[in-house]
Amino acid sequence: MKTLYAVLLALTLSTPPALAHHGWSGYDGDKTMNLTGTIREAGYEHPHGYVKLEVPGKTWFVVLAPPSRMENRGLQRAALTAGKTVTVVGYPNRTDPNELRAERITLDGKTTELR
Amino acid sequence: MIHDPQAAAWLVWLESSALAIAMRKWMWLYPAVEIAHIIGIVALVGGAVLFDLRLLGFSRSLPVATLARHLLPWSRVGLGLMALSGALMFAAHATEWAENPAFRLKMLLIIAAGLNAWAFHRWPFRSVAGWDREVPAPLRARAAALLSIALWLSVIACGRLLAYL
Repeated sequence: MKTLYAVLLALTLSTPPALAHHGWSGYDGDKTMNLTGTIREAGYEHPHGYVKLEVPGKTWFVVLAPPSRMENRGLQRAALTAGKTVTVVGYPNRTDPNELRAERITLDGKTTELR
Repeated sequence: MIHDPQAAAWLVWLESSALAIAMRKWMWLYPAVEIAHIIGIVALVGGAVLFDLRLLGFSRSLPVATLARHLLPWSRVGLGLMALSGALMFAAHATEWAENPAFRLKMLLIIAAGLNAWAFHRWPFRSVAGWDREVPAPLRARAAALLSIALWLSVIACGRLLAYL
């Protein structure tokens, strides 16, 4: 039994919890950020879409909404492409300094709520 | 996008496969597979836990062997559905799940639950004719039932939490 606990503990502690992006609680809602930059890479993917957003001095990994929700709200796959200038409003990840969860995104003059 | 290109080669290969890409990019495949996974949980854990409750002494008028024949095949169907849908979801983000602590714990718990069920059928259940109705199940059967409930509920908890860790 002791061995089992040791194994479980080792498994649980062996990797840093740097992956979380499902819930909003992993993001600091008190630090609203407003970023405008260029999309370097975009994914219209499950469970969440994303863009790699280049702003002066940094590239953010911006987590968006599930693709089905984005499509519902009028943000089509074809609109989310590299090279475009976009603005996102969102909150930084509490542990990953390069990740941001977007509340809304503005591109082609159109704002889409993502929550 | 591969979550962790430095991960083990087979994980990177799996996450790059056409199936994994379809899981990530097709609009309704991922949610459909998630729905199948939940239906699988209902069949597997529903059947197993109801059987365990009978072993623990609820509804003693129901014959244990008959109940096992009714419930446990549905649990096996559920297990098959879960394994299939789970494998698809794993493939979609293989490098990410492989290093997720809740996912690793979940796999260990599933193995433990499987061994527990195997041991139950191998030992205490053999003598079911002697405690089929109206009498308490032997201690080892009740212990297996309690462990089964605890393990499966923990599997569900890990399954949900792995998206948040």
